[in-house]
Amino acid sequence: MVLATPPSTHPLAEILTRLEQGGALLPESPDNLLEVVGILKSYGHVLDAYQRNLNYIAEHQFLVLFPFFKYFNGEVTLQKLLKHWWHDRINYEFAEYCMKAMFWHGGTALDNYLDSPEFQQRVEKILQVKLRGNVIMGSLNRLFPEFLPEQVRLLSYYSALGQFWDVMSRMFLVLSDRYDHGEINSIKDVVDHIREGLVTAAAQPITYAVMVADQRYEIIPKSAGLQFLMDTAVPYVEAVFFRSFPFFGTVSYNAQAHQISAEQADFNYGVLYADPLPVGGAGIPPTLLMQDMLHYLPDYLQEIYLRGSRRQDDFRVKICLSFQKSMFCVTTAAIQGLAPYPLDTADPTQQQTNRRYLEQWLDRMVNSRLPSLN
Amino acid sequence: MNQLLYQTSWWVPLYGLVGAILTLPWSVGLVKRTGPRPAAYINILMTVLALIHTALVLWAVWDAPPDRLLIPWLSLPGFELWITFLTSRISVGAAFVITLLSLMAQVFALGYMEKDWALARFYGLMGFFESAMTGLALSDSLFLSYALLEMLTLSTYLLVGFWYAQPLVVGAARDAFLTKRVGDLLLLMGVVTLSNLAGSLDFTHLALWAEQVELSPLTANLLGIALLAGPTGKCAQFPLNLWLDEAMEGPNPASILRNSVVVACGAYVLIRLQPVLALSPLALEILLILGALTAVGSSLVAIAQIDIKRALCHSTSAYLGLVFLAVGTQQDELALMLLLTHGIAKALLFMSLGSVILTASTQDLTELGGLGSRMPATTLAYAVGAVSMLGLLPLGCFWAMLAWAETVWTTTPWLVGILLVVNGLTAFNLVRVFVLVFGGQPQPKTRRAPEVGWLMAVPMVSLTIIALLLPLLLRQWQILPTWAQFNPTVLLLLLGAGGLGAGLGGWIYLSPGISKPVDLVWPSVREGLAYDFRIEQLYQITVVQGVVQGARLTAWFDRYVVDGLVNFVGVVSIFSGESLKYTVSGQSRNYLLTLFLALFLALTVIGWGYWGSGF
Amino acid sequence: MLSVLIWAPALGALLITCLPQATSGVRARQISLVIASLVLLWSIYLAGQFDLSNPGMQFAEALPWIENLGLSYRLGIDGLSMPLVLVNSLLVWIALFSSDPQISRPRLYYALMLILGSAVAAAFLAENLLLFFIFYEVELIPLYLIIAIWGGARRGYAATKFLIYTAFSGVLILAAFFGLSVLSGTSSFDYDLLQQQTLPLTVQLVLLITLLIGFGIKIPIVPLHTWLPDAHVEAPTPASVLLAGVLLKLGTYGLLRFGLGLFPEAWRVIAPGLAVLAAISVLYGSFAAIAQTDMKKIVAYSSVGHMGYILLAAAAATPLSLLGAIIQMVSHGLISALLFLAVGVVYAKTGTRDINQLRGLLSPERGLPVIGSLMIVGAMASAGIPGMMGFIAEFIVYRSSFEVFPVQTLLSMVGTGLTAVYFLIMINKTFFGRLPETLANLPRVRWQDRLPGVIVTLLIIWLGIQPNWMTRWSEATATAMGQGRMQHYSTVQPLSETVLSKIAPASQGS
Repeated sequence: MVLATPPSTHPLAEILTRLEQGGALLPESPDNLLEVVGILKSYGHVLDAYQRNLNYIAEHQFLVLFPFFKYFNGEVTLQKLLKHWWHDRINYEFAEYCMKAMFWHGGTALDNYLDSPEFQQRVEKILQVKLRGNVIMGSLNRLFPEFLPEQVRLLSYYSALGQFWDVMSRMFLVLSDRYDHGEINSIKDVVDHIREGLVTAAAQPITYAVMVADQRYEIIPKSAGLQFLMDTAVPYVEAVFFRSFPFFGTVSYNAQAHQISAEQADFNYGVLYADPLPVGGAGIPPTLLMQDMLHYLPDYLQEIYLRGSRRQDDFRVKICLSFQKSMFCVTTAAIQGLAPYPLDTADPTQQQTNRRYLEQWLDRMVNSRLPSLN
Repeated sequence: MNQLLYQTSWWVPLYGLVGAILTLPWSVGLVKRTGPRPAAYINILMTVLALIHTALVLWAVWDAPPDRLLIPWLSLPGFELWITFLTSRISVGAAFVITLLSLMAQVFALGYMEKDWALARFYGLMGFFESAMTGLALSDSLFLSYALLEMLTLSTYLLVGFWYAQPLVVGAARDAFLTKRVGDLLLLMGVVTLSNLAGSLDFTHLALWAEQVELSPLTANLLGIALLAGPTGKCAQFPLNLWLDEAMEGPNPASILRNSVVVACGAYVLIRLQPVLALSPLALEILLILGALTAVGSSLVAIAQIDIKRALCHSTSAYLGLVFLAVGTQQDELALMLLLTHGIAKALLFMSLGSVILTASTQDLTELGGLGSRMPATTLAYAVGAVSMLGLLPLGCFWAMLAWAETVWTTTPWLVGILLVVNGLTAFNLVRVFVLVFGGQPQPKTRRAPEVGWLMAVPMVSLTIIALLLPLLLRQWQILPTWAQFNPTVLLLLLGAGGLGAGLGGWIYLSPGISKPVDLVWPSVREGLAYDFRIEQLYQITVVQGVVQGARLTAWFDRYVVDGLVNFVGVVSIFSGESLKYTVSGQSRNYLLTLFLALFLALTVIGWGYWGSGF
Repeated sequence: MLSVLIWAPALGALLITCLPQATSGVRARQISLVIASLVLLWSIYLAGQFDLSNPGMQFAEALPWIENLGLSYRLGIDGLSMPLVLVNSLLVWIALFSSDPQISRPRLYYALMLILGSAVAAAFLAENLLLFFIFYEVELIPLYLIIAIWGGARRGYAATKFLIYTAFSGVLILAAFFGLSVLSGTSSFDYDLLQQQTLPLTVQLVLLITLLIGFGIKIPIVPLHTWLPDAHVEAPTPASVLLAGVLLKLGTYGLLRFGLGLFPEAWRVIAPGLAVLAAISVLYGSFAAIAQTDMKKIVAYSSVGHMGYILLAAAAATPLSLLGAIIQMVSHGLISALLFLAVGVVYAKTGTRDINQLRGLLSPERGLPVIGSLMIVGAMASAGIPGMMGFIAEFIVYRSSFEVFPVQTLLSMVGTGLTAVYFLIMINKTFFGRLPETLANLPRVRWQDRLPGVIVTLLIIWLGIQPNWMTRWSEATATAMGQGRMQHYSTVQPLSETVLSKIAPASQGS
């Protein structure tokens, strides 16, 4: 296919061209494919555990002040408790961390809805029921009127991210199964699989309801019109892939040092930017995710990792490297899915529009890990 | 039973130490498949045990006379070292407060550091920290106290350096260590001198010795200044105060302890050394001057800070300055009371800050605001902590300040002036921070601010309750004088200063008409205050330059004069050129040949000796 | 009994050289380790049999050798040499363990290491001045060869410099010994006989100063030190461990044993000057260390500084200060060994020791976190942080020297502060910060790389918490020496009972 538009002058022009030709941000190579599929399989398992827990907390730990067993998913046995104390468990803290990133960065329809009068009314109704007869909480609620509604907003994000990850985890596990059956043979196949998955689930509604005093109360009704793709997937990419939070372990919070931008939009601490080398060290939260994925690595990926000079000593760094590769594939799928026109369009004006669209994405990736992966 | 409790009081520091050692499998990476949290739980458990033990000992000693526990440690010709512990109401009480705050900080850290994979190292260091501090509280030996102060220096270095990959941490940890070390070194000189002069290093003996001894003024002054230097560094007093500001790069749970009890440890040793310091009027004067300078200076610096942690850590220096003044005027009991009330209030403030930082992901006061209605535990903790710091409402520090002003009112009235200034400035600063953080409209970074989880909220709320109950406890212990004993003038002055500061702070920062940042003073003055009177530059042109230039000069001298002389003679180069040919190329046999040749040479030399002695 | 410490490693060395050419380094290392382990166990056994209350020589062995010359094979051990012999046996084991099995010419290397250990032990045990001198010289050869063959880029220069300096040191020592023997009219070089000498003070002074320069090179005292940083930088790690750990102590040991022991009156005269020299060494070494960028040079200059404390305590020469000097020898031996071991691993894994090129090595996945922690422990021990033996050793030195030389002691104490400066600079630059891309693919660190450092660390901490275990060996001897009435209590064992008589009966003939 000959492009009508002239070659781009973008710093990542090579990648841009590849995208325009239907390729991915991550270059094609057998090793990349193996790493991406392997890590996504492991990630699928971890996400599944995360989403179960997020949904459990949103539904069953609703406004519980002392959620001792919030990571137990309702199943409290001595054996599980001992394993929990031995820290032989999934690090659900990381799921909450991603959720808080979405919550804190905000700026979407879900975010707007949580500030709407409708939400306010629904919360008030629930609180009336919930706080009935509870003098302490009742007076606390009067003294600090935003305290409990803010918690409900937080729980709404628990639920929203849980629903998003529910879809994503199944998508990644199916991808792995398809790979095992020989249906996935290139990075492009991976991207296609994810894009199809996102498109299929795009219109799936995001809702949230809780049981209080044996009655079901809707917090995010279907009528709020929140949908999978635009209200969870896109903000997720923005908050977790791009922005996230500065790590204590690498960035100074000292206000006089001005290392952290005053504008949240300038934040670039997300997974596409994060430096993989410090993973495993102090103050680097993604270590939790890498540790969780460590337990579900497929054999073929472990073998690749063991070939390194440090053998099993630096698994978490290697997992992080693979994970970043795979997340660039997910980003590619999102880019393709959200493109104004099909990327293989022959119309020059559509191509122009597409190029501007792609350049906007790539502008944000100049300082990401992407150049180092190409 | 009581006897047993006395005799086991030396176990108290061991709990933390054992906890620290037990974290090793996780912190050195022996356990890799599972996470580091057991290390945290073990340490918390050990601290709980320590707390129970301390509480029992405290109960046992409450109505008993102080008792000393002697453990022989090292016995050398003409020199013996004993590990001496003192179990008194004060020492065990201090250990109890330390353990309690340590427990709270550790539980708080479970929440604050939940996403940190180096948790085991952190808890190991906290255990070590706690162990050194409780040991210090119980110690009745200057030698042991010095040793523990040094261990505190080390653990401060490691705790500040916890996030070692963060660029500012690197300098902060180094500066914290070296600044404290300057003080420690002078203190060590004092300890060595004292050991020679007094024979024993037990505080009890030193006090007796100081009553009888006649020292030359020069010796007494030098000794006094040396002993003063250690606490000056530890308590972040001018000119060794900058490390505390930089140490705020460390994790917040460690900052809770650092600003409440760690700095107090230095003052605690100072109080124990008081009888010896009293030998030197000059040292006492310096103590007063440093204390006064720091109290006022740091209060001003605190107001110019835009970083919440730093806005409060400078006030720690200021309050420790007040403690210095109390020690300088020989009011040991008041110094201890101020340490207690300040410690609890400051710990509470720092817990509150921790939850603000974690929620808003910023420490910048200009980016905060509007948290008040969403975060009840955090807001209340700050409010109660702030009030407990001030001489305004009858909580903690109010009573300490009042009693303090009362005693110096007749003897040294200018000190009351210092107290009033500190009270007023601190009130202004705390109200300023409160309004900026909790009042006003939410800003982008504080728009979504849910209250922190229970692991952080529970210690915060518990300590809030303790801070509220503290005046009742003080009254219960009959430490507080009755109302009738108070001089109404002093009371009014204190309330007036606090009220004025708070009112001014509230008026300036609450009224929308005044633009922020507020231009209270010329920009150059504000800059000077914001950067701590440019003390860092002072260090640069004095100590740092001195050491750097000294090192450069020595290295140059070493390379070009000492070594150059050798090479100039040329012997080395000739030999090295020649011998290389033999040594580099050949087989093992060649070397053995060389070896035997050399032996032969040696024997020849001996043969020469034989010949020589034959005549 | 003592002869085992000398001849077991020597014979072991012979055995290793006699192995077939094709012998692998792994095998040579194993054999040498077995021998070193036996020697170490034997030293521990001897320590167990050591009579703590006896200040004089114990386990003495005597065998006439070249009577005309006054040379006799007389060995003995007392509270001064016991700790040093133990440290030597331990560090030889550590050095062998940390040696690279893949080293070129393994048979020669391991044989030389064993000879080195043997000669050092012999020098500590010798009770005859000439015998001491022979071993003092013999020890040079293996170390010279180790540096010259397995050293770094400038090994020829460094090895030769080392050889010339220390050979010169030997000549001066020999001259002093002969002078003493001739002038005092004794035909023997036996230590106990020479101790009875009654030479005029001026003659004593001349001899003592000759000895001082001789041993001063070895210690080293500024300005005689410049061979040391070069030798350390070029020497392979295990040799650095032995050089800093025990070889330097031959200098201070010699000074205490032969300087103070033989010339107590003259010692009193030069002591103030010595204390000044000590303070200069401390400050000079510390300042020079601050300006260095090579990790090994920093540790080497730190050695210059910390050996100064031994000199200071030796100058004071009170019972307590001499004990302090002995403990500081042990302490510096272990701490500098730990530091060199850690630097050695850093160098082996990263290929550089330049603190400006290294960064972020504490990184848990790709760095050297455990080695970094050991380095921090070593640095803190060296900087005199309590809880480790560096503190108590230095504290005793300060406490005791202050009585005699307050000003010099206070000046020396500044060195403790400076130690913190240069080690903190080193640690912050190399271990803190973010690991750079250039160091992102370092080879793996195995537990056997860490084990030697861990063992030494545990000892440093244990003896720091329980210093009685260290001081008790030397208390009696230090007291006796300090009170200037060092007597010879040794009970000479019949030759038939010594091990030597079974191993080498032929040597009786000479």
